[in-house]
Amino acid sequence: MSTDVTTPVPATGPPGPPPAGNRQSRKEHWSALRSRADSKISPYLYIAPFFLLFAIFGLYPLVYTAWVSLHDWELAGAEHPWSGLDNYRQLVTDEVFWNSLWNTFGIFVLSTVPQLTLALLIASLLNRRLRGRTFFRLSVILPMATSVAAVSIVFSQLFSRDFGLINWTLGGFGISPIEWQASKWSSWSAISLMVNWRWTGYNALIFLAAMQAIPRDLYEAAALDGAGPWKQFTRVTVPLLRPTILFTVIIATIGGFQLFTEPLLFNSGSSNYQGGSLRQSQTVSMYVWENAFVKFDFGYASAVAWVLFLIILLFASLNALAVRRLGGKD
Amino acid sequence: MIRALRRPHRRPRRGAATLGLGLAAVLVAATACGGEDDAAAGGEGGQVNLTVSVFGNFGYEQLYREYEASHPGVKITERGTGSDLSNYTPALTKNLATGSGAGDVVALEEGIMIQFKEKAQNFVDLGQYGGNEDKANFLPWKFEGGQSADGQKLIGLGTDVGSMGMCYRRDLFQKAGLPTERDAVAKLWPDWDAYTTVGKQFVGKNTGAKWFDAASNTYNTILVQEAGKSPGYTYFDKENNLAVESNPAVKQAYDRMIGMIGDGLSAGYKSFSDQWNAGFKQGTFATIACPAWMLGYIQGQAGEANKGKWDVTKAPGDGGNWGGSWLGVPSQSKHPKEAAELVRFLTSPKSQVAAFKSVNALPSSPVALDDPATKAFKNPYFNDAPVGEIFGTGAKELQPVYFGPRNQAVRDAVESTLLAVQQGKLKPEEAWSRAVRDAEQAAR
Amino acid sequence: MVLAAPVEGTDDPAATRRRRKSRESGAEVGKAGPLVYIMLALGAALSVFPLYFMFVVATRTNDTIGSLPPVLTPGGQLGDNVQRLLDNEDAHFLRGLLNSVLVSASVTIAVVLFSTLAGFAFAKLRFRGRNALLLVIVATMAIPVQLGLIPLYILMVELGWVGELKAVIVPFLVSGFGVFMMRQYAASAVSDELIEAAKVDGCSTLRIYWNVVLPAVRPAAAVLGLFTFMQTWNDFLWPYSVLNQDQPTVQLSLATLSSGYYSDFSQIFAGTALATLPLLMVFLLFGRQIIGGIMEGALKA
Repeated sequence: MSTDVTTPVPATGPPGPPPAGNRQSRKEHWSALRSRADSKISPYLYIAPFFLLFAIFGLYPLVYTAWVSLHDWELAGAEHPWSGLDNYRQLVTDEVFWNSLWNTFGIFVLSTVPQLTLALLIASLLNRRLRGRTFFRLSVILPMATSVAAVSIVFSQLFSRDFGLINWTLGGFGISPIEWQASKWSSWSAISLMVNWRWTGYNALIFLAAMQAIPRDLYEAAALDGAGPWKQFTRVTVPLLRPTILFTVIIATIGGFQLFTEPLLFNSGSSNYQGGSLRQSQTVSMYVWENAFVKFDFGYASAVAWVLFLIILLFASLNALAVRRLGGKD
Repeated sequence: MIRALRRPHRRPRRGAATLGLGLAAVLVAATACGGEDDAAAGGEGGQVNLTVSVFGNFGYEQLYREYEASHPGVKITERGTGSDLSNYTPALTKNLATGSGAGDVVALEEGIMIQFKEKAQNFVDLGQYGGNEDKANFLPWKFEGGQSADGQKLIGLGTDVGSMGMCYRRDLFQKAGLPTERDAVAKLWPDWDAYTTVGKQFVGKNTGAKWFDAASNTYNTILVQEAGKSPGYTYFDKENNLAVESNPAVKQAYDRMIGMIGDGLSAGYKSFSDQWNAGFKQGTFATIACPAWMLGYIQGQAGEANKGKWDVTKAPGDGGNWGGSWLGVPSQSKHPKEAAELVRFLTSPKSQVAAFKSVNALPSSPVALDDPATKAFKNPYFNDAPVGEIFGTGAKELQPVYFGPRNQAVRDAVESTLLAVQQGKLKPEEAWSRAVRDAEQAAR
Repeated sequence: MVLAAPVEGTDDPAATRRRRKSRESGAEVGKAGPLVYIMLALGAALSVFPLYFMFVVATRTNDTIGSLPPVLTPGGQLGDNVQRLLDNEDAHFLRGLLNSVLVSASVTIAVVLFSTLAGFAFAKLRFRGRNALLLVIVATMAIPVQLGLIPLYILMVELGWVGELKAVIVPFLVSGFGVFMMRQYAASAVSDELIEAAKVDGCSTLRIYWNVVLPAVRPAAAVLGLFTFMQTWNDFLWPYSVLNQDQPTVQLSLATLSSGYYSDFSQIFAGTALATLPLLMVFLLFGRQIIGGIMEGALKA
């Protein structure tokens, strides 16, 4: 962390290799050798634990699933005949799958955009001379401390049709009770609210950490140029935060597209994996679950999961690209 | 574990990666003490540890102790007590699919059993351990329900059945000027037409409550009754072809329910949802079609404060069944013989009576149903209703209904369209075609 | 709300002074006006309310859920509810708590260590295949969790780890998210000049990691640690799949409590509150470290 004036932070620019150059300076021969060996080998050692453990506990399941997706594989069934790309062919024309993808996307947008905007706002509010800052900082990230299960139990109560605090409050304004699970817009909003409630503060903290790394003289320089607070925010803060925003967007994409527990618990009761009477809020992950554990069609479930995986990769790269472009304008 | 411990020593002292691995190994070592002891491994030196996996509460605690006392060297552990089916089913399926982790004895609920009849290779043939000798102990359809799809193997012995009664709120009935005594109430609804007529009356009295809880439960009760009369199956015919459209019983029950929703009789809940649960306590509906096992559920949800407000009587129409379970022994069990013996003990008429008295699990054994202890049993929470009598009669008259292996998915799909109608998201006249379409999708 | 007093109370004067000092050289923008306070207070209230609601239900009888108008003040039933919770033999609640502490702590330490190491390597060291490998790590995060359930379970069966705590520890000792996060943070927070200077002084990369990188990334490492701890603590699906009810994590205990057959809401919420309490404590601990870390890091860099 270098907000020290003498060590400016190279926070700008796309993340890439650090500036090469002045490395081959005058050094003793043996130490150069050792250092070369060090810089050649140690990076691999540092990343080795990850790849080692990942290969066992991450890659193997992935490959296994790919294999399964090429079979007519009934869970706990006796035989698993090869079926080639049948599962994938079925998926292309599967309305339920496309519906779940659309829901996932909708909930993702409704949770990510407001969440990150709000987080930026909160971070900039927190990044001021403030009394009780510890209190404010802690209180906004407090929701993280609750489990999804607890969140869902509490929010289900709040969103209850007959006895919920939210409908009760709306009733005070003459709005008749909303059955939140019943339509797309309402179920999407309610689920997004749970996600937003839980993660906005966390993102705000990440943004705050990055904001604190911005040297103050940049703001002073901007102020000297006559930039007001808003201009300072858009011209200095946001561009310098670009790597951080990129990071949060990618994380949100990955988390958002795998959304499972919140919608599942929100649609409490029998056949909750359907995500509502007409699958108003069934996400792709829930559809994977339905196929694997309700229909026991593990082959098809694996195919859906693999497609989901590829879609996430695609979206994460698109988002990364978009955010880079966005920041690049300045 | 040992491998993990050794790895760091073999590596040359290179950098923090090694250090990290070492640390990881230490962490692993530190936690290794936690898990497996004799409970999981079991079986050596004469001691047999049997694990029984259940959902909800089967009321077996007393029976285990009794069994252990009469079988020295056997120790029984129950797992999954209190868990619900939506968690239990995937876990059990996964355990069977991977050949590990299932109990020595597992509970198989109706919906799971239908699916596992086709996957009989996962289960021990209880017939090899004398299970077929118990045939006379069970209602014939219940015994057949425990056989594999090809009829070759006996994979489960019956525990309880879910014959139907009708639970109702005395206080709401009184408010609406209806009789409250259970015999008089039963006379109100000899059939579903009468049930609907009384329902309209009730709703007309504006008690603030609806007539029944949810379309799905009531509809399914009607469907199983109708199907029991003819043709003996619901969504799948006996060759496992989808019969949603061809089976008149389905359409009949569906249309009846659409009518009831149109009459404003349903509270519109989804069964087993939080709001449905709260409805028991709040009294937002006056009646609910209830199998015997649900009495405990209602009591749990409605709470002590509502004791005596709920009562139970005969359901409209004849027969009908919802739920009920079997006990089976997965082939992965290391003690199939001992486990099968325990299954036979737990499903014996005597044990069924004990379970009934403990948690209202209605016996699937005619002997147990006729047992004086069962007949005389009154449920104090439900205004001292003679539940053994009320449910027992229905259980013996029950017409067996065939369910296909994909029954659950199709049933969920069809019932969801009813929920959508209640939510106003699906027009009643469009609901049926949607139900058929979704059923076809689910059956695929 | 409940936390306000202890949080402010735990600030030791020395740290406050340090913060004051750093504030002058820090990058905070402007002084907070009343509007800022109002907005932050609103945000804080919204954040805390659902937790407060949980606490309310935990201290009342089972009738609280579903009453209108909603009950919003705590009652006196907490002791009773907790007693019922501890008496519930099926839930193994205390053992679940203990197991969760053990599991979460192990995973957190390992994740932070491995992530900072790898993050440093990706951000500041140059090696062949760096970008490609980083991409792989990002891609690993995209693997849907529900998918791995069965193959991972099969693996556990083969290792003989089913029912043991290491089954919920070892697969999670590394995290693609952690590596990516630390890489992003280290890229901007660790000064290249310092690294170069250290290299010129003949420091090995490990020393650089220890003396330069670790102090610089501490704020993010603290956030990552907190995040990992909470995630592990709150994880349900996998522990549920691989552990048994008699050797549960705390979330499994809670699930046993809350699952369908008898929902005693006040007992469930008492359990939830108790299960959240250790987290809140860790949270306060780490919360201070995050904030303190940011400031101290600024002084040391």
